[in-house]
Amino acid sequence: MMREEAHRFGRARHLVGIAGIPQGPAGETGVIVLNAGLVHRIGPFRLHVELTRQLNAAGYPTLRFDLSTLGDSAASGGQQTRTQAVCSDVDDAMKLLAERAGCERFVLVGLCSGAQNAHVVAATDPRVSGAVFLDGYAYRTLGYKLRHYLPRLVDPARWARRLMQRTGGQPAAPKAEAQPIFAVAPAPREEVIADFTGMVNRGMKLYLVYSGGISNYFNHARQFRECFGKVMSHPAVTTRYAAETDHTYILTGDRARLLDGIGGWLSRNFPPANAGRQP
Amino acid sequence: MRLDADMPFFFGPDAGLFGMYHTPSMPARRAILMCPPLGQDLIRCHRLYRQLAQSLAEQGMAVLRFDYHGTGDSAGDSAEVDWERCVSDAATAAAELRRRAGVDRIVAFGARLGGSVALAAAAQARFSEVIAWDPVLDGDQYVAALDAMQAALREDAGRFNRPRSHSDVAEQWLGFDIGETLRRQLSALRVGTANVPTLVLDSTASSPASHWERIVSHRGKVATIVPPTPWDDLDRLESAILSHPLIQAVTGRLKEVA
Repeated sequence: MMREEAHRFGRARHLVGIAGIPQGPAGETGVIVLNAGLVHRIGPFRLHVELTRQLNAAGYPTLRFDLSTLGDSAASGGQQTRTQAVCSDVDDAMKLLAERAGCERFVLVGLCSGAQNAHVVAATDPRVSGAVFLDGYAYRTLGYKLRHYLPRLVDPARWARRLMQRTGGQPAAPKAEAQPIFAVAPAPREEVIADFTGMVNRGMKLYLVYSGGISNYFNHARQFRECFGKVMSHPAVTTRYAAETDHTYILTGDRARLLDGIGGWLSRNFPPANAGRQP
Repeated sequence: MRLDADMPFFFGPDAGLFGMYHTPSMPARRAILMCPPLGQDLIRCHRLYRQLAQSLAEQGMAVLRFDYHGTGDSAGDSAEVDWERCVSDAATAAAELRRRAGVDRIVAFGARLGGSVALAAAAQARFSEVIAWDPVLDGDQYVAALDAMQAALREDAGRFNRPRSHSDVAEQWLGFDIGETLRRQLSALRVGTANVPTLVLDSTASSPASHWERIVSHRGKVATIVPPTPWDDLDRLESAILSHPLIQAVTGRLKEVA
């Protein structure tokens, strides 16, 4: 059993979110889900609604909410940079979930720009004890380029098409490339590695799930280690590469597998019975 | 604008419907119920609905946005969305809006299937007028278009590294599970006149005036909105629908009849 509560909250009462409160003992780890791109708090294809309700059923209090200026949330009216505003908004969200469900520790979940925002907060806020990064930071590595270009170099059909273009043949008009809907702004790789290292050193648990939808810069499970080095082999880090899925999990079967993966990772790392208390 | 002028809340049976009430900037004489579309159109229109609601509240109208059962933040799974339930949820939302705003006269606005819900619920919800933006009048054509887009999605190279299996994409429309009941209901849907003043805002660019005739023949009119809205473009499936001309058309119409 659980209930959902609609809240207007925050330092300027500018934020809107839905808290999901399971029945049971207070003091558990709360899960906070951040906006994916410009989609309001329900998430792409209602991903965040399905995720939070499934986690509520497993005993985790949750909050899906809109950051300042996204969805139904307004600007706070302060003079903050975007990064400062994100940190303050998540601080407001943690305070709300602490007040409503007694949470002391938090797991942040974010897809794409949501992963980037979750990363920024997780790197600096000691109350964050876990994070799920969906298509977060990544870099085109040498391995990526070899996996991407080598098959093309030895593909006879591709050479034939090239030749046809040169000899004035009529190749099929290439489909205009769709504009990316979401994008993760790059951050210096060394900085991101240092952040990950700092997170695991202070006891955080990380779950990185990257999809086939970002194949323009990520194309293999090995690339986690290629991008971020040995910290990816730390026992506190779990990675998964879902090559078959798209960036926003449009197919309901893909979405269900993602949610089961997150639920399983949470129950292994933050069992509901003693979640929220540091090991 | 006050930051807390828009209040989120749950209402209706078992408090399962999500609503966002926009308090008017002055005592309201009229109220507007905004019926959302379904599926991905709901997500694409969210920003525009909020902008329109705030503009109308600033003009002194009480506005309620809400989500039907199984959609948005309301209770229920996506596969549970039911056409009859959407229509009755619109009537429940109208009653909630009357109670909150203290006015009886409600104009309903809706985009795509939201416009169809507004037209279908007009008698039950006692709307005084309906403003429908590109409403779906013939459900069988709408179902065929969604099926075609779902089939194209299976092989969308911009989305998937490899085409997906037929079973991977079955019983879904563009990101949402579809129950057999909803498919049957929409296939049989044929929206008729609402018997209240009706304004159709047409941004389809492809519908002849005769297409809208049966819902505006008695007490309605059609106004064209440009540019055309890319409702059924798979490449823009996750882009927000924004339209300043639409906001101007609705706010202008409601000023006219104030």
